[in-house]
Amino acid sequence: MPITTIIRSLALVTSAAIAFSSAGCGQFEPRDKRFYYRALWNFSLREDLAELDSEFNGVDFGHSNLYENLLLTGGRDVPAIEERARKETLAFIASKPRLNPNEEAIAPTYMKLAWRAQNTFDEAHALHRATYDIAVSDEPDKDRAIRNVLAYYKDSAYAITSKLLDHRRLDGFPYSKTFRQRFPLFNATIWSYHYLQVAVYDPLLAAPDLPAKTQAVRPILATYRRYLDVPPVDWTFMPLTAELSPQFAARYPELAHIFDNLHMLHDNISDILASERLPTWESKRAEIYRLVNTYYLAAADATNPMILSTEGAHHH
Amino acid sequence: MAGLAGPALALDHDNLDPNRPIGLEDAYAIPKGEIGLEGGVRFNDRREGRTHVTFQPQIIYGAFANAQIEMQGDLFTDPQSLVGANKSGDLHLGLLYNFNTETLNLPALAVRVEADFPTGVNSKGVDTQLTGILTRSFGRLRVHLNGGYTILGSPQGQERPGTYRAVAAVSYPLGYPGWFRDTLIVSLYTRQSDRQGQRNHTGVEIGLRHQLTSRVVLDGGLGTEFMGPSERAALLGTVGVSVGF
Repeated sequence: MPITTIIRSLALVTSAAIAFSSAGCGQFEPRDKRFYYRALWNFSLREDLAELDSEFNGVDFGHSNLYENLLLTGGRDVPAIEERARKETLAFIASKPRLNPNEEAIAPTYMKLAWRAQNTFDEAHALHRATYDIAVSDEPDKDRAIRNVLAYYKDSAYAITSKLLDHRRLDGFPYSKTFRQRFPLFNATIWSYHYLQVAVYDPLLAAPDLPAKTQAVRPILATYRRYLDVPPVDWTFMPLTAELSPQFAARYPELAHIFDNLHMLHDNISDILASERLPTWESKRAEIYRLVNTYYLAAADATNPMILSTEGAHHH
Repeated sequence: MAGLAGPALALDHDNLDPNRPIGLEDAYAIPKGEIGLEGGVRFNDRREGRTHVTFQPQIIYGAFANAQIEMQGDLFTDPQSLVGANKSGDLHLGLLYNFNTETLNLPALAVRVEADFPTGVNSKGVDTQLTGILTRSFGRLRVHLNGGYTILGSPQGQERPGTYRAVAAVSYPLGYPGWFRDTLIVSLYTRQSDRQGQRNHTGVEIGLRHQLTSRVVLDGGLGTEFMGPSERAALLGTVGVSVGF
Protein backbone atom coordinates (compact mmCIF):
# COMPACT_ATOMS: atom_id res chain seq x y z
CA MET A 1 0.00 0.00 0.00
CA PRO A 2 1.54 3.39 -0.96
CA ILE A 3 2.51 5.57 1.96
CA THR A 4 0.28 8.41 0.73
CA THR A 5 -2.72 6.09 0.86
CA ILE A 6 -1.84 5.07 4.40
CA ILE A 7 -1.50 8.70 5.50
CA ARG A 8 -4.75 9.61 3.78
CA SER A 9 -6.54 6.70 5.47
CA LEU A 10 -5.16 7.58 8.89
CA ALA A 11 -6.17 11.21 8.42
CA LEU A 12 -9.67 10.14 7.48
CA VAL A 13 -9.98 7.85 10.49
CA THR A 14 -8.59 10.52 12.82
CA SER A 15 -10.97 13.15 11.47
CA ALA A 16 -13.91 10.81 11.86
CA ALA A 17 -12.89 9.96 15.42
CA ILE A 18 -12.53 13.64 16.34
CA ALA A 19 -15.88 14.51 14.80
CA PHE A 20 -17.48 11.56 16.54
CA SER A 21 -15.98 12.49 19.88
CA SER A 22 -16.92 16.13 19.53
CA ALA A 23 -20.53 15.18 18.87
CA GLY A 24 -20.72 13.41 22.20
CA CYS A 25 -17.99 15.16 24.17
CA GLY A 26 -20.42 15.93 26.98
CA GLN A 27 -20.43 12.23 27.70
CA PHE A 28 -16.72 11.57 27.19
CA GLU A 29 -15.64 9.95 30.42
CA PRO A 30 -12.88 7.59 31.47
CA ARG A 31 -13.58 4.03 32.46
CA ASP A 32 -11.12 3.97 35.38
CA LYS A 33 -11.63 0.39 36.52
CA ARG A 34 -9.38 -0.54 39.40
CA PHE A 35 -8.48 -4.02 40.59
CA TYR A 36 -9.52 -5.02 44.08
CA TYR A 37 -7.06 -4.99 46.98
CA ARG A 38 -4.89 -8.07 46.49
CA ALA A 39 -4.43 -10.25 49.58
CA LEU A 40 -4.29 -13.85 50.73
CA TRP A 41 -7.82 -13.58 52.09
CA ASN A 42 -9.33 -12.72 48.68
CA PHE A 43 -12.38 -14.93 47.99
CA SER A 44 -12.43 -16.42 51.51
CA LEU A 45 -16.17 -15.92 51.70
CA ARG A 46 -16.71 -17.65 48.34
CA GLU A 47 -14.46 -20.55 49.23
CA ASP A 48 -15.39 -21.05 52.89
CA LEU A 49 -18.92 -19.76 53.33
CA ALA A 50 -20.55 -20.23 49.94
CA GLU A 51 -23.98 -20.28 51.52
CA LEU A 52 -23.68 -16.56 52.25
CA ASP A 53 -21.59 -15.67 49.20
CA SER A 54 -24.21 -16.98 46.78
CA GLU A 55 -26.80 -14.69 48.38
CA PHE A 56 -24.57 -11.69 47.73
CA ASN A 57 -24.08 -12.84 44.15
CA GLY A 58 -27.84 -12.79 43.83
CA VAL A 59 -28.00 -9.33 45.35
CA ASP A 60 -25.60 -8.05 42.67
CA PHE A 61 -28.20 -8.95 40.07
CA GLY A 62 -31.00 -7.11 41.85
CA HIS A 63 -29.85 -3.51 41.71
CA SER A 64 -28.67 -3.64 38.10
CA ASN A 65 -31.79 -5.43 36.93
CA LEU A 66 -33.92 -2.84 38.70
CA TYR A 67 -32.08 0.14 37.22
CA GLU A 68 -32.19 -1.24 33.69
CA ASN A 69 -35.90 -1.95 33.93
CA LEU A 70 -36.72 1.41 35.51
CA LEU A 71 -34.82 3.15 32.73
CA LEU A 72 -36.36 1.21 29.88
CA THR A 73 -39.94 1.41 31.20
CA GLY A 74 -39.79 5.08 32.20
CA GLY A 75 -40.36 4.18 35.85
CA ARG A 76 -44.13 4.03 35.48
CA ASP A 77 -44.88 0.42 34.60
CA VAL A 78 -45.77 -1.15 37.94
CA PRO A 79 -46.23 -4.76 36.72
CA ALA A 80 -42.94 -4.60 34.78
CA ILE A 81 -41.07 -3.72 37.99
CA GLU A 82 -43.04 -5.33 40.80
CA GLU A 83 -43.84 -8.53 38.98
CA ARG A 84 -41.46 -9.22 36.09
CA ALA A 85 -38.20 -7.57 37.20
CA ARG A 86 -38.63 -8.44 40.87
CA LYS A 87 -39.43 -12.06 40.10
CA GLU A 88 -36.44 -12.30 37.74
CA THR A 89 -34.33 -11.12 40.65
CA LEU A 90 -35.88 -13.60 43.08
CA ALA A 91 -35.39 -16.41 40.56
CA PHE A 92 -31.73 -15.50 40.15
CA ILE A 93 -31.23 -15.37 43.92
CA ALA A 94 -32.97 -18.74 44.26
CA SER A 95 -30.52 -20.25 41.74
CA LYS A 96 -27.77 -19.73 44.35
CA PRO A 97 -25.17 -18.55 41.83
CA ARG A 98 -21.61 -19.58 42.65
CA LEU A 99 -20.19 -16.49 40.93
CA ASN A 100 -21.40 -12.93 40.81
CA PRO A 101 -22.95 -11.92 37.49
CA ASN A 102 -21.49 -9.40 35.09
CA GLU A 103 -23.63 -6.36 35.81
CA GLU A 104 -22.90 -4.80 32.42
CA ALA A 105 -24.70 -7.74 30.83
CA ILE A 106 -27.68 -7.15 33.12
CA ALA A 107 -27.94 -3.38 32.69
CA PRO A 108 -26.18 -2.35 29.47
CA THR A 109 -28.28 0.80 29.06
CA TYR A 110 -27.92 2.01 32.63
CA MET A 111 -24.16 1.47 32.51
CA LYS A 112 -23.95 3.74 29.48
CA LEU A 113 -26.16 6.32 31.19
CA ALA A 114 -24.29 6.61 34.48
CA TRP A 115 -20.93 4.83 34.40
CA ARG A 116 -19.41 7.18 36.97
CA ALA A 117 -22.08 6.20 39.49
CA GLN A 118 -21.67 2.52 38.63
CA ASN A 119 -17.93 2.66 39.11
CA THR A 120 -18.57 4.31 42.48
CA PHE A 121 -20.83 1.37 43.37
CA ASP A 122 -18.32 -1.17 42.10
CA GLU A 123 -15.53 0.16 44.29
CA ALA A 124 -17.77 0.27 47.37
CA HIS A 125 -19.07 -3.23 46.63
CA ALA A 126 -15.46 -4.43 46.37
CA LEU A 127 -14.88 -2.92 49.83
CA HIS A 128 -17.96 -4.76 51.12
CA ARG A 129 -16.64 -8.03 49.67
CA ALA A 130 -13.20 -7.43 51.12
CA THR A 131 -14.57 -6.91 54.62
CA TYR A 132 -16.59 -10.13 54.42
CA ASP A 133 -13.51 -11.99 53.18
CA ILE A 134 -11.46 -10.66 56.09
CA ALA A 135 -14.18 -11.51 58.60
CA VAL A 136 -14.45 -15.10 57.33
CA SER A 137 -10.73 -15.72 56.78
CA ASP A 138 -8.19 -16.92 59.30
CA GLU A 139 -6.33 -13.62 58.96
CA PRO A 140 -4.83 -13.16 62.46
CA ASP A 141 -4.86 -9.35 62.48
CA LYS A 142 -8.24 -8.42 61.11
CA ASP A 143 -8.01 -4.81 62.29
CA ARG A 144 -4.84 -4.27 60.32
CA ALA A 145 -6.28 -5.98 57.24
CA ILE A 146 -9.36 -3.79 57.42
CA ARG A 147 -7.27 -0.65 57.89
CA ASN A 148 -5.25 -1.57 54.81
CA VAL A 149 -8.24 -2.27 52.60
CA LEU A 150 -9.97 0.89 53.81
CA ALA A 151 -6.87 2.95 53.00
CA TYR A 152 -6.77 1.39 49.52
CA TYR A 153 -10.43 2.24 49.03
CA LYS A 154 -10.03 5.82 50.21
CA ASP A 155 -7.19 6.27 47.75
CA SER A 156 -9.65 5.99 44.87
CA ALA A 157 -11.18 9.01 43.16
CA TYR A 158 -14.45 7.06 43.27
CA ALA A 159 -14.44 6.51 47.04
CA ILE A 160 -17.66 7.37 48.83
CA THR A 161 -17.17 9.63 51.82
CA SER A 162 -16.48 7.92 55.13
CA LYS A 163 -18.18 10.80 56.93
CA LEU A 164 -21.61 10.50 58.48
CA LEU A 165 -24.11 11.98 56.04
CA ASP A 166 -27.53 13.41 56.80
CA HIS A 167 -29.64 10.67 55.25
CA ARG A 168 -32.86 12.41 56.14
CA ARG A 169 -31.90 15.41 54.01
CA LEU A 170 -30.58 13.10 51.30
CA ASP A 171 -34.03 11.52 51.30
CA GLY A 172 -35.71 14.89 51.00
CA PHE A 173 -35.22 15.89 47.37
CA PRO A 174 -38.33 16.71 45.34
CA TYR A 175 -38.24 13.29 43.69
CA SER A 176 -37.34 11.35 46.84
CA LYS A 177 -39.51 8.39 47.88
CA THR A 178 -40.96 8.07 44.37
CA PHE A 179 -39.59 4.57 44.01
CA ARG A 180 -40.74 3.21 47.36
CA GLN A 181 -44.21 4.70 46.97
CA ARG A 182 -44.76 3.36 43.47
CA PHE A 183 -42.94 0.05 43.84
CA PRO A 184 -43.19 -0.91 47.52
CA LEU A 185 -42.50 -4.61 46.98
CA PHE A 186 -39.27 -4.13 45.05
CA ASN A 187 -38.18 -1.36 47.41
CA ALA A 188 -38.68 -3.64 50.40
CA THR A 189 -36.74 -6.33 48.54
CA ILE A 190 -33.85 -3.90 48.03
CA TRP A 191 -33.90 -2.97 51.71
CA SER A 192 -33.90 -6.67 52.55
CA TYR A 193 -30.62 -6.99 50.60
CA HIS A 194 -29.22 -4.13 52.60
CA TYR A 195 -30.40 -5.81 55.79
CA LEU A 196 -28.45 -8.93 54.87
CA GLN A 197 -25.36 -6.97 53.84
CA VAL A 198 -25.00 -5.16 57.17
CA ALA A 199 -26.61 -7.60 59.63
CA VAL A 200 -23.99 -10.32 59.12
CA TYR A 201 -21.01 -8.26 60.29
CA ASP A 202 -21.42 -8.63 64.04
CA PRO A 203 -22.08 -12.38 64.01
CA LEU A 204 -19.22 -13.01 61.56
CA LEU A 205 -16.71 -11.05 63.61
CA ALA A 206 -17.88 -12.43 66.96
CA ALA A 207 -17.76 -16.10 65.99
CA PRO A 208 -14.34 -17.63 66.71
CA ASP A 209 -14.01 -20.06 63.82
CA LEU A 210 -15.54 -21.03 60.51
CA PRO A 211 -18.10 -23.55 61.84
CA ALA A 212 -19.26 -20.96 64.35
CA LYS A 213 -19.44 -18.27 61.66
CA THR A 214 -21.48 -20.58 59.44
CA GLN A 215 -23.91 -21.22 62.29
CA ALA A 216 -23.99 -17.56 63.29
CA VAL A 217 -25.19 -16.27 59.92
CA ARG A 218 -27.91 -18.89 59.44
CA PRO A 219 -30.59 -17.08 61.48
CA ILE A 220 -29.88 -13.92 59.48
CA LEU A 221 -30.12 -15.83 56.22
CA ALA A 222 -33.42 -17.33 57.39
CA THR A 223 -34.77 -13.87 58.22
CA TYR A 224 -33.55 -12.51 54.88
CA ARG A 225 -35.26 -15.30 52.97
CA ARG A 226 -38.48 -14.59 54.84
CA TYR A 227 -38.17 -10.96 53.76
CA LEU A 228 -37.80 -12.08 50.15
CA ASP A 229 -40.97 -14.16 50.48
CA VAL A 230 -42.89 -11.44 52.27
CA PRO A 231 -41.19 -8.09 51.64
CA PRO A 232 -41.17 -5.83 54.72
CA VAL A 233 -43.24 -3.04 53.19
CA ASP A 234 -43.89 -1.51 56.61
CA TRP A 235 -40.28 -0.33 56.91
CA THR A 236 -40.03 3.43 56.49
CA PHE A 237 -36.29 3.73 56.01
CA MET A 238 -33.39 1.61 54.83
CA PRO A 239 -31.59 -0.59 57.37
CA LEU A 240 -28.59 1.09 59.00
CA THR A 241 -25.33 -0.56 59.95
CA ALA A 242 -25.24 0.83 63.48
CA GLU A 243 -28.69 -0.60 64.20
CA LEU A 244 -28.01 -4.11 62.86
CA SER A 245 -24.29 -4.52 63.59
CA PRO A 246 -23.61 -2.02 66.40
CA GLN A 247 -20.28 -3.55 67.41
CA PHE A 248 -18.97 -3.42 63.84
CA ALA A 249 -20.18 0.17 63.48
CA ALA A 250 -18.49 1.18 66.73
CA ARG A 251 -15.24 -0.57 65.84
CA TYR A 252 -15.14 0.59 62.21
CA PRO A 253 -17.25 3.76 62.02
CA GLU A 254 -15.81 4.84 58.67
CA LEU A 255 -16.85 1.55 57.08
CA ALA A 256 -20.32 1.80 58.57
CA HIS A 257 -20.71 5.30 57.17
CA ILE A 258 -19.48 4.27 53.72
CA PHE A 259 -21.91 1.36 53.54
CA ASP A 260 -24.86 3.41 54.76
CA ASN A 261 -23.99 6.18 52.32
CA LEU A 262 -23.70 3.60 49.55
CA HIS A 263 -27.16 2.26 50.32
CA MET A 264 -28.58 5.77 50.47
CA LEU A 265 -27.13 6.49 47.04
CA HIS A 266 -28.82 3.34 45.75
CA ASP A 267 -32.14 4.71 47.02
CA ASN A 268 -31.48 8.11 45.47
CA ILE A 269 -30.81 6.61 42.08
CA SER A 270 -33.91 4.42 42.24
CA ASP A 271 -35.93 7.58 42.91
CA ILE A 272 -34.28 9.51 40.09
CA LEU A 273 -34.90 6.73 37.59
CA ALA A 274 -38.54 6.41 38.69
CA SER A 275 -39.40 10.10 38.87
CA GLU A 276 -41.30 12.04 36.20
CA ARG A 277 -39.73 15.22 37.56
CA LEU A 278 -36.64 14.20 35.62
CA PRO A 279 -38.32 13.22 32.36
CA THR A 280 -35.35 12.60 30.06
CA TRP A 281 -32.41 10.24 30.30
CA GLU A 282 -30.10 13.23 30.07
CA SER A 283 -31.80 14.94 33.02
CA LYS A 284 -31.62 11.74 35.07
CA ARG A 285 -27.93 11.36 34.25
CA ALA A 286 -27.23 14.97 35.20
CA GLU A 287 -28.97 14.60 38.55
CA ILE A 288 -27.26 11.30 39.37
CA TYR A 289 -23.88 12.87 38.63
CA ARG A 290 -24.76 15.99 40.62
CA LEU A 291 -25.57 13.89 43.69
CA VAL A 292 -22.51 11.67 43.32
CA ASN A 293 -20.13 14.57 42.81
CA THR A 294 -21.62 16.93 45.38
CA TYR A 295 -22.81 14.74 48.23
CA TYR A 296 -21.28 11.29 48.03
CA LEU A 297 -17.70 11.25 46.79
CA ALA A 298 -15.04 11.77 49.42
CA ALA A 299 -13.42 14.25 47.06
CA ALA A 300 -16.29 16.64 47.93
CA ASP A 301 -15.83 16.39 51.72
CA ALA A 302 -14.55 19.95 52.09
CA THR A 303 -17.72 21.44 50.65
CA ASN A 304 -20.32 18.74 51.27
CA PRO A 305 -23.30 20.27 53.10
CA MET A 306 -24.70 16.83 53.94
CA ILE A 307 -21.90 15.89 56.32
CA LEU A 308 -23.10 15.80 59.91
CA SER A 309 -20.65 17.27 62.37
CA THR A 310 -21.36 14.87 65.24
CA GLU A 311 -22.50 11.29 65.55
CA GLY A 312 -25.32 12.37 67.85
CA ALA A 313 -26.88 14.46 65.13
CA HIS A 314 -27.68 11.35 63.11
CA HIS A 315 -31.06 9.82 63.79
CA HIS A 316 -33.96 8.31 61.98
CA MET B 1 -9.42 -8.07 27.64
CA ALA B 2 -11.69 -5.49 29.07
CA GLY B 3 -12.47 -4.44 32.56
CA LEU B 4 -16.01 -5.57 32.67
CA ALA B 5 -15.43 -7.58 35.75
CA GLY B 6 -17.54 -7.00 38.83
CA PRO B 7 -15.74 -6.53 42.10
CA ALA B 8 -15.81 -10.21 42.97
CA LEU B 9 -14.14 -11.61 39.88
CA ALA B 10 -10.46 -11.48 39.01
CA LEU B 11 -11.08 -12.08 35.34
CA ASP B 12 -14.19 -11.64 33.29
CA HIS B 13 -15.24 -13.80 30.37
CA ASP B 14 -16.86 -10.77 28.73
CA ASN B 15 -13.44 -9.18 28.34
CA LEU B 16 -11.96 -9.87 24.95
CA ASP B 17 -8.31 -10.30 24.04
CA PRO B 18 -6.63 -11.21 20.77
CA ASN B 19 -6.38 -15.00 20.41
CA ARG B 20 -8.51 -15.68 23.47
CA PRO B 21 -9.97 -17.41 21.60
CA ILE B 22 -10.16 -15.50 18.30
CA GLY B 23 -8.25 -12.66 16.69
CA LEU B 24 -10.18 -9.77 18.12
CA GLU B 25 -9.79 -7.09 20.76
CA ASP B 26 -12.37 -4.97 22.53
CA ALA B 27 -11.80 -1.37 23.57
CA TYR B 28 -11.34 -1.92 27.31
CA ALA B 29 -8.14 -2.50 29.24
CA ILE B 30 -8.03 -4.70 32.30
CA PRO B 31 -8.48 -2.90 35.63
CA LYS B 32 -5.52 -0.99 36.98
CA GLY B 33 -3.40 -3.32 39.08
CA GLU B 34 -4.69 -6.60 37.67
CA ILE B 35 -2.30 -9.28 36.43
CA GLY B 36 -3.36 -11.94 33.97
CA LEU B 37 -1.52 -15.05 32.83
CA GLU B 38 -2.87 -16.44 29.58
CA GLY B 39 -2.00 -19.39 27.45
CA GLY B 40 -3.43 -21.29 24.54
CA VAL B 41 -2.82 -23.70 21.74
CA ARG B 42 -3.90 -22.80 18.22
CA PHE B 43 -3.80 -25.03 15.18
CA ASN B 44 -3.98 -23.87 11.59
CA ASP B 45 -4.85 -26.68 9.20
CA ARG B 46 -3.88 -25.11 5.88
CA ARG B 47 -5.26 -25.96 2.46
CA GLU B 48 -1.67 -26.35 1.21
CA GLY B 49 1.35 -26.98 3.38
CA ARG B 50 1.79 -28.47 6.80
CA THR B 51 -0.47 -27.76 9.73
CA HIS B 52 0.92 -25.13 12.07
CA VAL B 53 0.45 -25.42 15.83
CA THR B 54 1.11 -22.35 17.95
CA PHE B 55 1.64 -22.09 21.68
CA GLN B 56 0.60 -18.67 22.96
CA PRO B 57 1.89 -17.73 26.43
CA GLN B 58 1.11 -14.15 27.47
CA ILE B 59 1.29 -11.89 30.51
CA ILE B 60 -0.89 -8.81 30.78
CA TYR B 61 -0.76 -6.16 33.45
CA GLY B 62 -3.04 -3.23 34.19
CA ALA B 63 -0.09 -0.94 34.69
CA PHE B 64 -1.90 2.39 34.58
CA ALA B 65 -5.46 3.64 34.62
CA ASN B 66 -7.19 2.47 31.44
CA ALA B 67 -3.99 0.94 30.08
CA GLN B 68 -2.58 -2.54 29.95
CA ILE B 69 0.82 -3.72 28.92
CA GLU B 70 1.35 -7.14 27.40
CA MET B 71 4.27 -9.47 26.88
CA GLN B 72 3.89 -12.44 24.61
CA GLY B 73 6.08 -14.94 22.76
CA ASP B 74 4.32 -17.27 20.32
CA LEU B 75 6.04 -20.58 19.62
CA PHE B 76 5.23 -22.34 16.34
CA THR B 77 5.82 -25.81 15.05
CA ASP B 78 7.68 -25.78 11.72
CA PRO B 79 9.17 -22.34 12.46
CA GLN B 80 11.37 -22.23 9.34
CA SER B 81 8.34 -21.98 7.05
CA LEU B 82 6.83 -18.84 8.56
CA VAL B 83 6.48 -15.57 6.67
CA GLY B 84 5.19 -12.24 7.93
CA ALA B 85 5.66 -10.31 11.13
CA ASN B 86 4.99 -12.96 13.74
CA LYS B 87 7.94 -15.37 13.81
CA SER B 88 8.33 -18.22 16.27
CA GLY B 89 10.00 -17.01 19.44
CA ASP B 90 9.69 -13.29 18.75
CA LEU B 91 9.29 -11.17 21.85
CA HIS B 92 6.04 -9.28 21.52
CA LEU B 93 5.36 -6.20 23.64
CA GLY B 94 2.11 -4.29 23.47
CA LEU B 95 0.25 -1.42 25.05
CA LEU B 96 -3.53 -1.03 24.92
CA TYR B 97 -4.91 2.34 25.94
CA ASN B 98 -8.64 2.89 26.37
CA PHE B 99 -9.71 6.50 25.86
CA ASN B 100 -13.23 6.33 27.27
CA THR B 101 -16.01 4.16 28.51
CA GLU B 102 -19.04 3.70 26.30
CA THR B 103 -21.88 6.12 26.95
CA LEU B 104 -25.28 6.67 25.38
CA ASN B 105 -23.73 8.87 22.68
CA LEU B 106 -20.21 7.54 22.34
CA PRO B 107 -18.67 4.15 21.66
CA ALA B 108 -15.64 3.04 23.64
CA LEU B 109 -12.43 3.84 21.76
CA ALA B 110 -8.94 2.48 22.21
CA VAL B 111 -5.59 2.25 20.52
CA ARG B 112 -3.10 -0.60 20.62
CA VAL B 113 0.61 -0.16 19.89
CA GLU B 114 2.72 -3.27 19.49
CA ALA B 115 6.29 -4.21 18.66
CA ASP B 116 7.78 -7.59 17.76
CA PHE B 117 11.46 -7.88 18.55
CA PRO B 118 13.54 -10.24 16.41
CA THR B 119 14.36 -12.81 19.08
CA GLY B 120 12.78 -15.64 17.09
CA VAL B 121 13.68 -18.04 14.31
CA ASN B 122 14.60 -16.34 10.99
CA SER B 123 13.44 -13.01 12.40
CA LYS B 124 15.00 -9.70 11.43
CA GLY B 125 14.14 -6.15 12.31
CA VAL B 126 11.60 -4.78 14.74
CA ASP B 127 8.03 -5.02 13.46
CA THR B 128 5.52 -2.47 14.69
CA GLN B 129 1.75 -2.41 14.65
CA LEU B 130 -0.86 0.24 15.32
CA THR B 131 -4.53 -0.74 15.79
CA GLY B 132 -7.62 1.36 16.38
CA ILE B 133 -10.42 -0.31 18.34
CA LEU B 134 -14.08 0.59 18.75
CA THR B 135 -16.71 -1.12 20.90
CA ARG B 136 -20.39 -0.23 20.76
CA SER B 137 -23.24 -2.10 22.44
CA PHE B 138 -26.82 -2.50 21.31
CA GLY B 139 -28.65 -3.95 24.24
CA ARG B 140 -26.56 -6.93 25.31
CA LEU B 141 -25.01 -7.33 21.87
CA ARG B 142 -21.58 -5.71 21.64
CA VAL B 143 -20.07 -4.79 18.29
CA HIS B 144 -16.31 -4.49 17.94
CA LEU B 145 -14.28 -3.03 15.09
CA ASN B 146 -10.52 -3.39 14.84
CA GLY B 147 -8.39 -1.79 12.12
CA GLY B 148 -4.63 -2.15 12.19
CA TYR B 149 -1.48 -1.70 10.16
CA THR B 150 1.76 -3.62 10.63
CA ILE B 151 5.12 -2.38 9.38
CA LEU B 152 7.89 -4.96 9.04
CA GLY B 153 11.28 -3.72 10.15
CA SER B 154 13.17 -5.87 7.71
CA PRO B 155 11.01 -7.66 5.14
CA GLN B 156 12.62 -10.73 3.64
CA GLY B 157 12.16 -12.17 0.14
CA GLN B 158 8.64 -11.59 -1.11
CA GLU B 159 7.32 -10.37 2.26
CA ARG B 160 5.25 -7.22 2.11
CA PRO B 161 6.81 -4.26 3.95
CA GLY B 162 3.47 -3.54 5.54
CA THR B 163 0.06 -5.18 5.89
CA TYR B 164 -3.34 -4.00 7.03
CA ARG B 165 -5.95 -5.96 8.93
CA ALA B 166 -9.62 -5.31 9.63
CA VAL B 167 -11.99 -7.20 11.92
CA ALA B 168 -15.69 -6.79 12.60
CA ALA B 169 -17.15 -8.86 15.40
CA VAL B 170 -20.03 -9.25 17.79
CA SER B 171 -20.08 -10.70 21.28
CA TYR B 172 -23.10 -11.72 23.29
CA PRO B 173 -23.50 -12.98 26.87
CA LEU B 174 -25.42 -16.25 26.83
CA GLY B 175 -28.06 -17.18 29.38
CA TYR B 176 -29.61 -13.90 30.63
CA PRO B 177 -31.35 -13.60 33.07
CA GLY B 178 -30.36 -16.82 34.78
CA TRP B 179 -26.76 -17.50 33.74
CA PHE B 180 -23.79 -15.16 33.29
CA ARG B 181 -20.77 -17.33 32.67
CA ASP B 182 -20.54 -17.66 28.88
CA THR B 183 -19.89 -15.20 26.10
CA LEU B 184 -20.22 -16.03 22.41
CA ILE B 185 -18.02 -14.19 19.90
CA VAL B 186 -18.28 -14.21 16.11
CA SER B 187 -15.90 -12.32 13.83
CA LEU B 188 -15.33 -11.63 10.15
CA TYR B 189 -11.85 -10.53 9.17
CA THR B 190 -9.64 -9.72 6.26
CA ARG B 191 -5.91 -9.14 6.27
CA GLN B 192 -3.34 -8.61 3.58
CA SER B 193 -1.33 -11.68 2.69
CA ASP B 194 2.20 -11.83 4.02
CA ARG B 195 3.66 -12.23 0.50
CA GLN B 196 3.28 -9.67 -2.23
CA GLY B 197 0.97 -10.46 -5.14
CA GLN B 198 -1.38 -12.68 -3.17
CA ARG B 199 -5.00 -12.13 -2.20
CA ASN B 200 -6.16 -11.13 1.26
CA HIS B 201 -6.82 -13.81 3.85
CA THR B 202 -10.53 -13.46 4.57
CA GLY B 203 -12.33 -15.63 7.06
CA VAL B 204 -14.75 -16.11 9.91
CA GLU B 205 -14.20 -17.27 13.46
CA ILE B 206 -16.52 -18.23 16.30
CA GLY B 207 -15.50 -18.56 19.91
CA LEU B 208 -16.76 -19.05 23.43
CA ARG B 209 -15.36 -17.73 26.71
CA HIS B 210 -16.45 -19.49 29.88
CA GLN B 211 -16.01 -18.19 33.42
CA LEU B 212 -14.90 -21.30 35.29
CA THR B 213 -14.09 -19.72 38.67
CA SER B 214 -13.52 -16.24 40.05
CA ARG B 215 -9.97 -16.31 38.71
CA VAL B 216 -10.12 -18.63 35.67
CA VAL B 217 -11.63 -18.23 32.21
CA LEU B 218 -11.55 -20.99 29.60
CA ASP B 219 -11.88 -20.31 25.89
CA GLY B 220 -12.27 -22.22 22.67
CA GLY B 221 -12.76 -21.20 19.06
CA LEU B 222 -13.01 -22.41 15.47
CA GLY B 223 -12.60 -20.64 12.15
CA THR B 224 -11.94 -20.92 8.46
CA GLU B 225 -10.61 -18.71 5.68
CA PHE B 226 -12.85 -18.78 2.63
CA MET B 227 -10.72 -16.47 0.48
CA GLY B 228 -6.99 -15.97 0.19
CA PRO B 229 -3.78 -17.56 -1.06
CA SER B 230 -3.48 -21.28 -1.57
CA GLU B 231 -1.95 -21.84 1.88
CA ARG B 232 -4.87 -20.14 3.66
CA ALA B 233 -6.48 -21.85 6.62
CA ALA B 234 -8.98 -24.60 5.99
CA LEU B 235 -9.67 -24.92 9.71
CA LEU B 236 -8.48 -22.88 12.65
CA GLY B 237 -8.92 -24.01 16.22
CA THR B 238 -7.96 -22.61 19.59
CA VAL B 239 -8.25 -23.65 23.21
CA GLY B 240 -6.91 -21.57 26.03
CA VAL B 241 -7.04 -20.54 29.64
CA SER B 242 -6.65 -17.21 31.43
CA VAL B 243 -5.86 -16.79 35.11
CA GLY B 244 -6.20 -13.46 36.88
CA PHE B 245 -4.89 -12.37 40.24
